[in-house]
Amino acid sequence: MQACGLSTNRDTKFQQYYVKGEQLYIQHCSNCHQKDGRGLGLVYPPLAQSDYMTQNVDQVLCLMKYGVAGEIVVNGKAFNKEMKGVFSLTDLEVAEIATYIYNTWEHNQGIIDIADVTKAHQKCGN
Amino acid sequence: MKFMKEMKLSFTSTINLFVTFSVLFLGACVNRDKPLPIFGERELVGADTVYHTIAPFQFVDQDSASVTNATFEDKIYVADFFFTSCRTICPIMKTQMVRVYEATKEMPDVLLLSHTIDPEYDTVALLHDFAERLGVESKRWHFVTGKKDSIYKIAQTSYFATAMEDKSEPDGFIHSGAFLLIDKKGRIRGKYDGTKEEEVNRLIVDIKKLRSTNGI
Repeated sequence: MQACGLSTNRDTKFQQYYVKGEQLYIQHCSNCHQKDGRGLGLVYPPLAQSDYMTQNVDQVLCLMKYGVAGEIVVNGKAFNKEMKGVFSLTDLEVAEIATYIYNTWEHNQGIIDIADVTKAHQKCGN
Repeated sequence: MKFMKEMKLSFTSTINLFVTFSVLFLGACVNRDKPLPIFGERELVGADTVYHTIAPFQFVDQDSASVTNATFEDKIYVADFFFTSCRTICPIMKTQMVRVYEATKEMPDVLLLSHTIDPEYDTVALLHDFAERLGVESKRWHFVTGKKDSIYKIAQTSYFATAMEDKSEPDGFIHSGAFLLIDKKGRIRGKYDGTKEEEVNRLIVDIKKLRSTNGI
């Protein structure tokens, strides 16, 4: 019973993150990366299918807030256009967006927690 | 179960009927439609009506080539205003303009013209990189830069599109997301919201329509 209750709580939390994450994604990210996550040419990299995302979770959690400049390689293609971060995002909001993008399209990574974001941000925030 | 199946069948045939009628209706519509409107002030000079046309301009494109009204002589073109560092409506506009680019691939008399409204940042080199990254040809899609005043002035007075610097706005500019359809005589024949897919569908239909009357 307890295990069942726990799992329900986790599901609820996942759902909340996912739904809120989708709204935030539409608001802050989809203009460039597109609602379907396919990006645009070599200007805006795709998220729907992205080896970069899979291999660089911490960097992704960082760049949402702090931005990224210089070349990054996604699926073997070089992208090099500065993305400004959305500095106003809280750790919770970054976790929500991450939960959304990491569990949509080709991704199935499960919930990304606030603790994951806080930990990642300790490395990039200063 | 049988009832359900019948329901489904009748539903399907209703849809078919609807589609058939829509196609017929749309077909009739295109044929019988009035010509595209001509935007802006007009005046009578003698017996002739003189329409608003795009004023003379001279900008530089992503290949450092000079782009003037002569570039668009005997061409239909679609114009817009944007800047590469914009994160608000421009990426959506560019996504939609790529659709126009794809849709007009087989139309040698149709060109695209995107003006940057942030010429200080959007240099020729940057526009070149941007166009290349979009994967588009410069002979069909010119990304131009020039004197800021000239760009803002032509936006306001020729294309009736808003473009100005405003530090209080996100990214520092306000501008309209409009796509303007210009005919072979330099007249505005349509204005579309470049951030809306349906509006851009209408633009693509209108381009075909304008071509059917030789672009005038």
